[in-house]
Amino acid sequence: MRKILAVWVTKALILLGKLAGKKGSSTPGAAALKIYPDILRDLSSQVRCDIIAVCGTNGKTTTNNLLCAMLSAQGNKVVCNRVGANMLEGVTTAFADSADLFGRIDADYACIEVDEISTVKVFGHLTPRYMVITNLFRDQLDRYGEIDITVDYLSRAAARLTDAVLILNADDPLVTAFGKKAGGKHVYFGIGEDTGIARGETKEGRFCGFCGGELAYDYYHYSQLGSYRCPGCGFVRPRPDFEAVNVDLTDGIAFDTDGRRISVDYRGFYNIYNILAAYAAARQTGADLGGLQRVLGEYRPQIGRMETFVIGKPVIFNLSKNPAGFNQAISTVSDDKRTKDIVVVINDNAQDGRDISWIWDVDFERLGEGGGTRLLVASGIRHNDVAVRLKYAGLDGFEDIGDVKSAITRALATPSEVLYVLVNYTALFSTQRVLKELEGKQ
Amino acid sequence: MSGTPMRLTIGHLYPELLNLYGDRGNITALSRRAAWRGIDVTAIEYRLSDEIDFSALDIVFVGGGSDREQLLVCKRLGEIKARFQEYADGGGVVAAICGGYQLLGRYYKLKNETVEGLSVLDVFTESGEGRLIGDVVIQTDFLEQPVVGFENHGGRTYIGSHAPLGKVVSGGGNNGTDGAEGVRYKNIIATYLHGPLFPKNPHLCDYVLTKALEKKYGAVTLSPLNDDAEFAANRFIVNRFA
Repeated sequence: MRKILAVWVTKALILLGKLAGKKGSSTPGAAALKIYPDILRDLSSQVRCDIIAVCGTNGKTTTNNLLCAMLSAQGNKVVCNRVGANMLEGVTTAFADSADLFGRIDADYACIEVDEISTVKVFGHLTPRYMVITNLFRDQLDRYGEIDITVDYLSRAAARLTDAVLILNADDPLVTAFGKKAGGKHVYFGIGEDTGIARGETKEGRFCGFCGGELAYDYYHYSQLGSYRCPGCGFVRPRPDFEAVNVDLTDGIAFDTDGRRISVDYRGFYNIYNILAAYAAARQTGADLGGLQRVLGEYRPQIGRMETFVIGKPVIFNLSKNPAGFNQAISTVSDDKRTKDIVVVINDNAQDGRDISWIWDVDFERLGEGGGTRLLVASGIRHNDVAVRLKYAGLDGFEDIGDVKSAITRALATPSEVLYVLVNYTALFSTQRVLKELEGKQ
Repeated sequence: MSGTPMRLTIGHLYPELLNLYGDRGNITALSRRAAWRGIDVTAIEYRLSDEIDFSALDIVFVGGGSDREQLLVCKRLGEIKARFQEYADGGGVVAAICGGYQLLGRYYKLKNETVEGLSVLDVFTESGEGRLIGDVVIQTDFLEQPVVGFENHGGRTYIGSHAPLGKVVSGGGNNGTDGAEGVRYKNIIATYLHGPLFPKNPHLCDYVLTKALEKKYGAVTLSPLNDDAEFAANRFIVNRFA
C-alpha cells in the first residue's frame, strides 16, 4: 500500500513539476523514498532483463540516452533517467515515473546514469548487470575533494556487485587502472589510431596508477586519453573489444567499429566515445543493432549539448562542467571559421561546485586564434572571475555583463555570423529559457 | 635612453603533478603583470627528472597536488632539499600554494604514512577529520586590501613561531582553529588559498614581483596598472561574507 501511495505521490509531484516548468527534478523521488524506502529496490527488481548503469565524469547523459535509443529500437521497453537526474532521488523518480498506478514496471531494460559519488548508495537499491565508465576527469572538486576520492567511491560501488561486467574506456588510464583493481569481467572500447586532434592542454592522471611512474604515450587525444603504457611496471592500455578506426571528422563524425561504418552529423570528438560506450553496452545484451544508423541519425544531443537556436543568426548552446569538457567545447568553437561571438556563463551554485578555479585550466587563450572571434562576454554568478580569466588570456574586447539575458542580447546585436553560449551546470536551464524566449520573439 | 629591460625567471616546480587547482593561472598572472610593465619574463616548467639551477631563478612557484601526487613529488624533493633551502634562506622568492605549502614544512602526516617536507619552514601538517572547503578572506599586515581565495584541504598546518600570511576574516585557514592563514617568512609566501591566488589578488602578485625585482636590481617601484576587473572579482568574495 505504501508502495502505491509512493508511486502516486511521485507521479503527482512530477506532474506538478512539469506544470511549473521544472525539469530533471529529484524532489519526487525523495518524497517516494520517504514514504516507502524500498521503492527503488521493489521497482527495479521488476525489470525483466538487465539494468545498465552509466558512470563517468563526462558523457554520461549522452551515452545513456544513446544506449536507451539503441535498445528501444530493438523493440525493448526501457526505463531511463533521460534528463540526467542521477543521484538516488533522481533515479527513483525515473523508475516511479515508469510504473503504472499499481506500482508495476513493464520494462525489459533499465539504462540509468549514476553520479559517481552516488553509486555506493544507488547500488544498495538496484543491481546493475553492466556498469559503463566513460572517463574520469577532474570535476566539481570541492564536492568530491579529489579524483582519487571519486575512484574510491566507484571501487566501493563495484565491490557491491557480483557477476557484473564493467564496460570501460580503454583509452583512459584512470578508468582501466580502476578496472584492473576492481577485477571481474571487462569489456573495453577505445579509439585505435592517432586522429591528430591532440592539443597542448592540461593532462591529468598521466602517472601510473600502480607504480607511480610517468606513462608513455604512442598517441593521445585529449586530457589523459590515448594509447599509453607504463615503462616502469608494464601497465598498458588494454586491447579494446570495440575499437574506432578510420575516424573522419570532416563533416560530423564517422568511424568503423565492429565491422560496420558509423556516421552521425553532430560534432564533438568526445561523441565518438559516447557512441562507442553505448554501442559496446547495447551489444552485450545480444542485440544485433540492425537499423543503428537510423537510431543514431534520429538521436538529438541533449539540451545544451551543442544545441542550436536561431535568433537572427545561429546560436550554439553548450554545457561544460569541467576543464576537459570546456576544452573540447573550445576546440569546436575555434574550429568554426565563421566570425563569432562567445558568451561564457559560469555559476558556482552547490551543484556546479563552489570552486571555480578550474576555469584557469581551460585554454581560453585558444579563442583568440584564427581571428574569427569578435566579442567575448563574461556572465553568470561568477562573471567577475570569468572577466579576469579572459583578460589574462590576452583576449581583447571582452565585456563583463553579469545578467545572462543582457549578455546574450548584447552579443546578438553584433554583425558576427554565429554566437556560441558556453555554460556550466546550473546555468543550463536558466540560459536555455532565455534562449527559447528570445527565439520565440523572432 | 632606456636601459636593458629588467628580466625575471620563474621556476614552476612539477606542474605535471602539482597543478590541482588551476595553479597555472598564478604563473599567468605573474608573467602578464610583469610583461605589462615591460619586464621580460621567462617561465620554466620543471619535470620531476629535470635538474633545477636555483641560481638562475628569481621566483620559485610550487602548486598543489593530491595526496598521491605529493607522495610522488616527495621522493624527488629529498634530492633537491639542500639547494632549495639555500635558495630560500638566501632570500629567494618562493610562492607555495596548498600542497606546495605543506611540502615546504617539516612533514605532512597522513593516516598511513608521513610525507617528508623540505623543512624550509618550521611548520608541520597533520591530516584532520574532514576537509576545510570554501571561500576564504584574510587580512594581511602588509597589504591594504584583503586577500581572497578558495581553500580545499584535509591537512591541518601548525606554524609555530612563524608569522602567518594573514589573519582569517572568513574561512578555515591553516587549521580551522587558530585564525592564522599561511606563512610569510623572508621572501616566502605560503598559503592554502587557490582560486587561483594571484589573478584575484593583484596587490599580492605585485608584492611578489617587487620582492623578486628588489633582490635582483635593488629598490624598484612597479608602475600602476588598471586593476578594476581583478578587484571586482576580489570584492565579490569579500562581499559574500559582508
